[in-house]
Amino acid sequence: MSPVILILAVISVILAITMLFAKNPITSALCLLGVLLMTAGIYGLIGEHLIATIQLVVYAGAIMVLFIFSIMLLNLTTESEDHKKEPLLYVSAIALGGGVLTFIILALNEHFLKHPMDYSFGKFSPEVIAQLGGNSKVLSHALFSQFYVSFEVISLALLIAIVGAVVLAKRKFD
Amino acid sequence: MTNDVLVQTLAAVLFTIGILVVLLRRDTIMVLMGIELLLNSANLSLVAFSKSAAMIEGQLQVFFVITIAAAESAIGLSILINLYRNFGSIKTQNASTLKG
Repeated sequence: MSPVILILAVISVILAITMLFAKNPITSALCLLGVLLMTAGIYGLIGEHLIATIQLVVYAGAIMVLFIFSIMLLNLTTESEDHKKEPLLYVSAIALGGGVLTFIILALNEHFLKHPMDYSFGKFSPEVIAQLGGNSKVLSHALFSQFYVSFEVISLALLIAIVGAVVLAKRKFD
Repeated sequence: MTNDVLVQTLAAVLFTIGILVVLLRRDTIMVLMGIELLLNSANLSLVAFSKSAAMIEGQLQVFFVITIAAAESAIGLSILINLYRNFGSIKTQNASTLKG
């Protein structure tokens, strides 16, 4: 276990909990930005350099800038909310979250501890990837040869999203 | 405890916190941020599993998920601006005109 990954994991959990309880939306947005940066660091440390770069550029760059821009455009300040008014919602949310966490931990326990097997059945082991020219080269090659239809469809989806966002933001609804 | 277990546990914890953010916060923008946290933790899990299985399909899937997340946040934030323009607030309980 790498200690650097452990440190990044602890920081990102602390930032996520701060995001959950922060009153100011800009605090929450900056905490989410921190979580995304820590995730990019973890991607880089386990050797996924292309995904780490995309995470930094698209997620931490573009999406979070959009969020912070919206918060500042709408001039959102501290929200005056109190969870105590609806204890049923509070209790059911905690129960659902705890249930999901328990389920995932049980599944991970089943996967890693009860049936520990050699599940590295793919052909892209680290040695093969290094021989083929690195993580970014392998992923890009697969993206433009094996998955080129998905790539084109995703670019079309992005175009539709651009047009849809402009139409939605400019139109005056009655 | 290997790196795989650590990263998967982190993804599970972040997913739970994302669910709590989506369910407990009242601002629409916080709900959108919770959805981003959920997508991010699912990406983390996919990348770690795909890495340990020596495959690259998971990383490519994460590439597509990040692109769709960018599109989703652009649409969601423009809906949010419309919500603010029509209701004067982005609290989720104010947008209740569809209620019978």
